[in-house]
Amino acid sequence: MSLREVEIEKDVFEVAIDFTDLSLERGEVELTLGYSDGEIPVHFAAMIDEAILQLPKRCEIRAGYRVLDMEKPAGRHDGLIVGGKFFAMDKIVAGQLKKASKAALFVCTIGPDMENWSRHLLKHGDPALGYIADVTASVAAETVTNVLHDHIAERMRDRGLNVTNRYSPGYCNWSVSEQHLLFSMFPENFCGVTLSESALMSPIKSVSGVIGVGEKVEWKDYICDRCGVKDCTYRATRLPKGQVKIE
Amino acid sequence: MEELVGKIGECIERGKVNKSSPYPKDMQGQDGTDELTRQALDSGVGPEEILQACNAGMKRIGDRFSRNEVFVPELLMAAKAMNAVMAHLKPYFQTGTVKAKGRFVIGTVAGDLHDIGKNLVAMVIEGNGWEVVDLGVDVKSAKFLDAIRQGPECTVGLSALLTTTMANMSKTVQEIKTQFPSIRVIVGGAPLTQRAADQMGADGYAPNPQGAVAFLNAGRQK
Ligand code: B12
Repeated sequence: MSLREVEIEKDVFEVAIDFTDLSLERGEVELTLGYSDGEIPVHFAAMIDEAILQLPKRCEIRAGYRVLDMEKPAGRHDGLIVGGKFFAMDKIVAGQLKKASKAALFVCTIGPDMENWSRHLLKHGDPALGYIADVTASVAAETVTNVLHDHIAERMRDRGLNVTNRYSPGYCNWSVSEQHLLFSMFPENFCGVTLSESALMSPIKSVSGVIGVGEKVEWKDYICDRCGVKDCTYRATRLPKGQVKIE
Repeated sequence: MEELVGKIGECIERGKVNKSSPYPKDMQGQDGTDELTRQALDSGVGPEEILQACNAGMKRIGDRFSRNEVFVPELLMAAKAMNAVMAHLKPYFQTGTVKAKGRFVIGTVAGDLHDIGKNLVAMVIEGNGWEVVDLGVDVKSAKFLDAIRQGPECTVGLSALLTTTMANMSKTVQEIKTQFPSIRVIVGGAPLTQRAADQMGADGYAPNPQGAVAFLNAGRQK
């Protein structure tokens, strides 16, 4: 599957992702809600179907990325220089990206409408559907990020380059306040996403991050076992059950 | 009569709102809390007795949530069933015949716009018989302090989504505690932990609405 992209500035691309490019399974939403296989009451399963049905109408998907040179500063392991600016990514992310010669900074969103619909339902008598709509929207936002990631990988492959896993400010000890630096690398209002003083993106259902690009890089799973962030969701879903948690 | 009141409690636990509600499936076509509360009041059952049955139902669904047998959607259906009861009991609250368990002031802290978690907590707490004052999102400390001044017999809940806004939360906790040392503050939201709550001087932390209910109920017994 090849997606259309437009170069809006040099090396800044906006990618056209359509709802049909996402494959969103009800089971994924069920698991996120907490129900294991087949345990969900039929009524809530029907609510997930309804929320999924609303997605094409209520998602305004926008996604984009910028490719910049990246280098490792001499004698430092706590960050990398991207497009001439030092990003304090901390050791984990910097370590995972250090072999990359370029960084693809990205942002994507599903727009505000699912959020607004969820809020409306919550306030006006259908709280369970409102909550399920919110969770479905979150899963959709993650799915859009996967599609964007795959697209970036494909474009880089065209240039003979490989990509790494993706990393976001706010994860793996990379401070969420670095969102300001990340957004300073994009044109204003890129993909319709804005950042508040406290580093919160609007619309809420938006994701940002970095993907390492280079000849020598390879894809690696997240290294949750070496990370000190105890309450992270990635750790909860990625560490094998029962593995001792490191504080 | 007792049977009728017991049924209201059961409908709360099962989230059966009214006859036309399709949820839960095995109770389709049966009366829900809406019809049963009307019937109970018409046949002379006191509002206090109805509320007790509701509390018992809420407690049962809360316990099942704590055991991971049900999840947030079930809690919300129970809260909705409770709202239907409250609509009938409203006149008794207005005249003071019955009273809410207490007042709970909640808001998402300054700089933060994420409100789903806060709204869920507010709804479930209200369903458990508390008067809830929802101050909304991006709430500065001054607004929390004003709300406390208006009714100092309250408990305060603060919500945050990001570690950046958690810093504002910490400030708000401190300002509340400086001006109103006896006000109990509970914090919550995705980036929070018990440790973070302790560090900012909050009295409690809960990872979900049910934990907040337990915190409030424990506070009443003190
Ligand atoms: C789904 C999700 C997303 C979705 C949707 C986000 C949303 N808020 O709607 C998407 C994929 C878009 C996303 C994006 C991001 N996310 Co995110 N996300 C999550 C996740 C997995 C669940 C959050 C959620 O919506 N839960 C469902 C709602 C209903 O729950 P809730 O709001 O937390 O509320 C519940 C409880 O917290 C509690 N509660 C809430 N308030 C209160 C108040 C009181 C008083 C009490 C007692 C209880 C209580 O009860 C509620 C009901 O159960 C969390 C991790 C986690 N497991 O919580 C990370 C998490 C919130 N995300 C995180 C981050 C970093 C981000 C991004 C910054 C990443 C990035 N750079 O793109 C962005 C930020 C988005 C933005 N707008 O700025 C971090 C935040 C911590 C931090 N470092 O700041 C978390 C904690 C993950 C982590 N690192 O562990 N995210």
